Amino acid sequence: MATALLILHGLVAVALLGAITHQMLGAWAPSSPRPRSFFGRFRAVQPAGYANAIVGLYVGTSLLGAVIYLYFKVDIQPDLERDRHWHALGFLDLKEDFVAIGLGLLPAYWISWFRAFADERGRTASSLTTILGFIVWWSFLVGHVVNDIMGFGS
Amino acid sequence: MTSAPVFRRFAFAYSTAFALIYVIARAKGLALFTVYPSQGIILLGMHRSRDVADPVLDFLAPEMFWYGWTATAALGALVIGLIAALVRDRWSRRFWLGWVWVAPVLAMMACVYLTIPWFRR
Repeated sequence: MATALLILHGLVAVALLGAITHQMLGAWAPSSPRPRSFFGRFRAVQPAGYANAIVGLYVGTSLLGAVIYLYFKVDIQPDLERDRHWHALGFLDLKEDFVAIGLGLLPAYWISWFRAFADERGRTASSLTTILGFIVWWSFLVGHVVNDIMGFGS
Repeated sequence: MTSAPVFRRFAFAYSTAFALIYVIARAKGLALFTVYPSQGIILLGMHRSRDVADPVLDFLAPEMFWYGWTATAALGALVIGLIAALVRDRWSRRFWLGWVWVAPVLAMMACVYLTIPWFRR
């Protein structure tokens, strides 16, 4: 059960990672109307069009992570403490803090893309997207390292 | 259209308050509840296993505060968001919109500080 949830959590996280990265680059470095490079085409998106999906994927990933965290605490963390993986546990602690702060950001993030005044939209929406993007990337990388910790660096 | 500014005020106040209250809850141990996953127990408030049992046996009943901290922040932010929604629009315009992204950045930096003990072991 925990393994199936973990795989699902990882898959949803990949979708979220792609969506937030597209939106972040599309917001900060919009491409020309006819992009020629791969990087240009990657940025050639309508950032606002990703907001609903990102909110849904963020909530879904967080809920799955919150359930998996119960298994982690009972079955995995004691082994990591026994093997003195303090840095990994510290990074994971930060991941849970950042994810919670990101959850709280979602209402402002959503409304800044759809209901903000025109003069405030760009900077606020882009800033909130960047913070969420950082949280998602951090969580993704830390999650992977902790998941693979018995092989990583040992 | 009249509900849009109200929800906007709520959303901006909620997100700003959530980040700040989460850090305060994290630093001061203000969890709304504590989860004991191995026993399947949820207790109101913040409880540490080592306060009632030998710290050596802590691993038998690991406690989880993250859900409680998040719930505390959500509840506190909800109250502040609702208050902000009731405030007149001309008053809310004094609120610098940048706080909505500065507050979470400050909160994340505070969380890094609170996590330092893990890296000093």
